[in-house]
Amino acid sequence: MGSRKPKAAIIVAYLFVPMALYVFSVFIPLLTSVFYSFFEWKGGPNKTFVGLENYIMLLYDKEFWQAFQHNIYLVVLCVIGQVGIAFVLVMVMNSKGTKFKDMHRTFGFFPSTISHVAIGFIWTMIYDSRRGLLNWCLTAVGLGDKTQVWLNNPKLVMTLVAIPLIWQYIGYYMLILLSATSSIDNQILESAELDGVNGFQKAVYIVMPMIKNTILICLVLCVAGNMKVFDNIFVMTKGGPGNASMVTALYGYIVSFKQQNMGYGSAISVGIFVLGILLVGSIQLLVKLFSKEGIGNEEKCC
Amino acid sequence: MKKSAVNHIISLILNTCMILFSLTCIYPIIWILSSSLKVKREFNADIISLPENPTLINFQKIITNPDYHILASLGNSFLTTSISVFFIALFGFIVGYLLARVRFRGNKMIGILLLMGMLIPIHSLLVPIYVVFNRTGLSNHWYTLIFPYIAFGLPIAVFLVQGYVKEISIELEEAAAIDGCGFSRTMFQIIMPICRPVMIAIAIIEAFNCWNEFPFALVLLKDARLHTVPLAMTQFTGQFSSDYPQIMAAMLITMAPIVILYFAFNKLIIKGMVAGAVKG
Repeated sequence: MGSRKPKAAIIVAYLFVPMALYVFSVFIPLLTSVFYSFFEWKGGPNKTFVGLENYIMLLYDKEFWQAFQHNIYLVVLCVIGQVGIAFVLVMVMNSKGTKFKDMHRTFGFFPSTISHVAIGFIWTMIYDSRRGLLNWCLTAVGLGDKTQVWLNNPKLVMTLVAIPLIWQYIGYYMLILLSATSSIDNQILESAELDGVNGFQKAVYIVMPMIKNTILICLVLCVAGNMKVFDNIFVMTKGGPGNASMVTALYGYIVSFKQQNMGYGSAISVGIFVLGILLVGSIQLLVKLFSKEGIGNEEKCC
Repeated sequence: MKKSAVNHIISLILNTCMILFSLTCIYPIIWILSSSLKVKREFNADIISLPENPTLINFQKIITNPDYHILASLGNSFLTTSISVFFIALFGFIVGYLLARVRFRGNKMIGILLLMGMLIPIHSLLVPIYVVFNRTGLSNHWYTLIFPYIAFGLPIAVFLVQGYVKEISIELEEAAAIDGCGFSRTMFQIIMPICRPVMIAIAIIEAFNCWNEFPFALVLLKDARLHTVPLAMTQFTGQFSSDYPQIMAAMLITMAPIVILYFAFNKLIIKGMVAGAVKG
């Protein structure tokens, strides 16, 4: 075994290129970002050190926190819409009479392979007031008076923008949850059915606790993914009308590249990073708390 | 018997739900496909109907338009994606194998570094990567995006390979050592072929990710001739915003490689995703 371990020089040789690339493209930029966030810098050669001023400005920046609120709104909608609906669909797929499972998996997963930019365009066309599918459907069922220029409605725009996101990823989470449920021993489910358990109870009290870890992973992926939302919204509304559909990543982009305010933009980036970690951390804590209660329930019913 | 009749009705409802779901996932693409075969007038008249005289004129106009480098962007995306995916798989395998099997100083640290990379929201890196790449003169070349794409794809690849390699029995490598097989030969000629399923999964996931990537392409590429597919798509709405069939034709051209890849290999892709999900 000792003769199998390669010399240190060989290890370094193998690791050097990929790690150097990685450090150069990920870590140096990250550190540079933190560095620049302490300066006021408009993109030119003049930088002035301002200490924590950018961060104080960030704390009071109404637009940023409004954008963050929009991110949270998206996260909530998407957890319910993507993971929630996916879970329901998985229960449906797993019940006995369901046919064409392969087709459902293939078609369901398909939207998640398309680029967010394309999805943004597709749904912009669906929402179009004159030629879009949505208004056509409303008129066809007799609700013609409800038609409007959808993406110009500041009250609805955030929800409208969430729908493509939900639509795109239901199949993705469905696939992950399907593979998790396929490892559940069928005998447990069958003996529960013999005991008279109905579908809903089966889902909540048996299946959910057994795939707890996978659900946690789905939640983390969902939250992390929604903090990063950018492409869809950029293409559909650019954050508008006004700031009604602004999200943090888009705001960071606009401040840095459109307003050329790179020092502040860097502070925003660091802010997004910290908020993201806090969110993911609290989700993991919450699930740990819930699962402690869940374990209590199992003991009670068995 | 009564119970089985109720069961049948429930089955019917559930099946209908699933079929509706699958239809809604597919329908937008079908709508775009059928609409792109219509002329603008026919489309504006009835957006749902099937085209009466299907025509390829929209596609023709897009491809021959000198302002739109559609074919160039397809080429750019193809080049960038294939090179990036190749190196992500290769480096992912090497690093993953080393981390899983070889004890060396810094093993844990590299693992943590890579894990952190998975948690960083990449938009935080837009500004600094823009600055770093501009300063080093790396922006705006045909090879520009390959660097960040490899760097961002590496953590997941390493993670998946590590998990897979740990399940391989170590006796295989020991037998190879006894037979006089050196370290590098063992790694590449014996272990790598065994890792083919996970490498395929990595290749598929990263191919989609690289092809569809937008923010970094937006920030690092200025020259319109270097644009990748998602960037090129954002040019369409400007000029042709009232000619939907034309926009749709353009979108179809850019989506075609993905759609073809997906439906041709979908069994493989789903198997790969499942393998990744179970390990993850």
